[in-house]
Amino acid sequence: MTEVSIEKLTKDYGQGPAVNGISIKIAEGEFISLLGPSGCGKTTTLKMIAGFEDATEGAIRFDGRDVVHVPVEKRDIGMVFQNYALFPHMTVEKNLAFGLEMRKVPKSEIRERIAKVLDMVQLAGYAERYPRQLSGGQQQRVALARALVIEPKILLLDEPLANLDAKLREEMRVFIRDLQRRVGITTVYVTHDQAEAMTMSDRVVVMFGGRIAQIGTPSDIYERPANLEVAEFVGQVNIIRGRVGNRVVSTAFGDVPVSGDYAEGAELMLALRPEAVELLPVGSGAAGVPARVLSSYYSGSLVDYRLELANGAAVNVQAFPRTRFADGDEVLVHAPADRFWPLGPVTGIGA
Amino acid sequence: MNAVPAKKGFGPLLLIAPAAILLGVFLVLPYLNIVVMSFRIPGQGTPYAPGFTFANYGKFFADGFYIGQVVNTLWIGFVTTFACLVLGYPVAWQLARGTSAFRALGYGLVLSPLLVGIVIRSYGWTILLGNNGIINRTLTSWGIVDGPLPLMYNALGIVIALVHVFLPFMILPIMSAIQGIDPSLEAAARSLGASRITAFRRITLPLSLPGIQAGCILVFVLSLSAYVTPSLIGGMRVKTMAVTVVDALIDTFQWPFGSALALMLSVTGAIVVVLFGRLTRMKWKA
Repeated sequence: MTEVSIEKLTKDYGQGPAVNGISIKIAEGEFISLLGPSGCGKTTTLKMIAGFEDATEGAIRFDGRDVVHVPVEKRDIGMVFQNYALFPHMTVEKNLAFGLEMRKVPKSEIRERIAKVLDMVQLAGYAERYPRQLSGGQQQRVALARALVIEPKILLLDEPLANLDAKLREEMRVFIRDLQRRVGITTVYVTHDQAEAMTMSDRVVVMFGGRIAQIGTPSDIYERPANLEVAEFVGQVNIIRGRVGNRVVSTAFGDVPVSGDYAEGAELMLALRPEAVELLPVGSGAAGVPARVLSSYYSGSLVDYRLELANGAAVNVQAFPRTRFADGDEVLVHAPADRFWPLGPVTGIGA
Repeated sequence: MNAVPAKKGFGPLLLIAPAAILLGVFLVLPYLNIVVMSFRIPGQGTPYAPGFTFANYGKFFADGFYIGQVVNTLWIGFVTTFACLVLGYPVAWQLARGTSAFRALGYGLVLSPLLVGIVIRSYGWTILLGNNGIINRTLTSWGIVDGPLPLMYNALGIVIALVHVFLPFMILPIMSAIQGIDPSLEAAARSLGASRITAFRRITLPLSLPGIQAGCILVFVLSLSAYVTPSLIGGMRVKTMAVTVVDALIDTFQWPFGSALALMLSVTGAIVVVLFGRLTRMKWKA
């Protein structure tokens, strides 16, 4: 198991830095995701860890040893590519044997290890197939097996689920995560899909414009986003504005206590997740702010409502469909004070 | 993925009909005529006399001169093909994988030999390669060689000129084969511990074999049938089969014998191409 330490890593292609001085410490056996929109530098970072791109500045340490000048083939990494990159002219067995042959592993051991890894990815009996004879999900598992059979120091995955259909994607999330836990390998996973990053990772690194916006556990990222950009990229969010008064922010939902130094009278943005808001029928006697249903979208397990508050602000609410409200209904909305998260003073961007 | 079953009907036939008719009228029929001609009896004062004979083929096999010429022609074809492959592969790779700025320029350069007429180009080579040509004069005046190097009127000169002309036919199929190979395959090989060279040898090279195969067959066949370049550069001394065939047909008016020679060239060429196809297919599976 390997600890990976990235220190002030920068990549500049000559048109301004694509990756701008990022530092991440990845613990042994940790599953970390690099999450961000396309062009945020996540793939470039992965390529630098793998050795496909030179770092302009900074260090990448595997167990303390700087590998920046070590070529790809000597870094001892296992990599899974977005399109799997299986060798089309080789059988599954030959694909898996490739890395072991490069390491001069004796033939008998190669056979053993291939059998073991095929078992692990539930593809025993597929050794003689060619990649084109396998389904997308099977190819994906062969790619994983090929990366793992060499027992690399770290596992790197570059949007490996992007080419699969939705149902298979969810299955593979669980599959990869379970496999990674069992093997206990330090893993860096690149994705632009926040649900993928959240469900699979120990920690998520959110990147924008070549910089790290936030590093944290999935619940840190979701419930305590570092700024407006993170809050809006990870899941849906309502941005509620309020004016700072004596240790509270007065909002359309009432007064919300805040900690932190905010100048009195400043306008503050608060994040409020749609599922944190409760919808109540008018006249139930419960406390709540009156609102009107503008539209609703039913998706089976949940209903997404779009509401309008008395002050004209729109709020998205996600609720269980046990009590359904129709478009145009008057309702009461309520959000517990601890579900508001301050994002800082109003900056002009955002809703 | 279920393939949509092909609709039965005359649609596909209509699509290939124009090309098929063209080939039939201008290639297959004349070819059949050549086959018939090769069995005719040479006539006195006429192209051929009535009746049929195997004598034309007898003459071919009896005289070591003609067999030697076939061997020579095949040899020139082999060397030209091999030289085109060795020179062309790196260029094809560079064109397929290089940056776009280089690609446009490189593409133009690769096609440039085809933009000059074959006669002009061959005369150009005689200016360069002749005993009094630019290359020999330069080398002699610089004192690098004592006398002129034999660059013309031999197989070497023919090969040099043929390689120049046929290089594009090697480069283009290989280039498109390499373009069809996902670059991430090489990256995957490197990530698994292969050096650049090993990744090329184990992944890119075998996957580009179909392009190599197509390029080699094209260049080889074109070399066998080349006429203008070998006749201008080989002169009277080195003759390829194509030149001899034309001599027989036009200079000495031996239509039946010339046809037999032409067919022997075609047959040997076809045998080599089929064998080569077999060989490279086996390699592909290995």
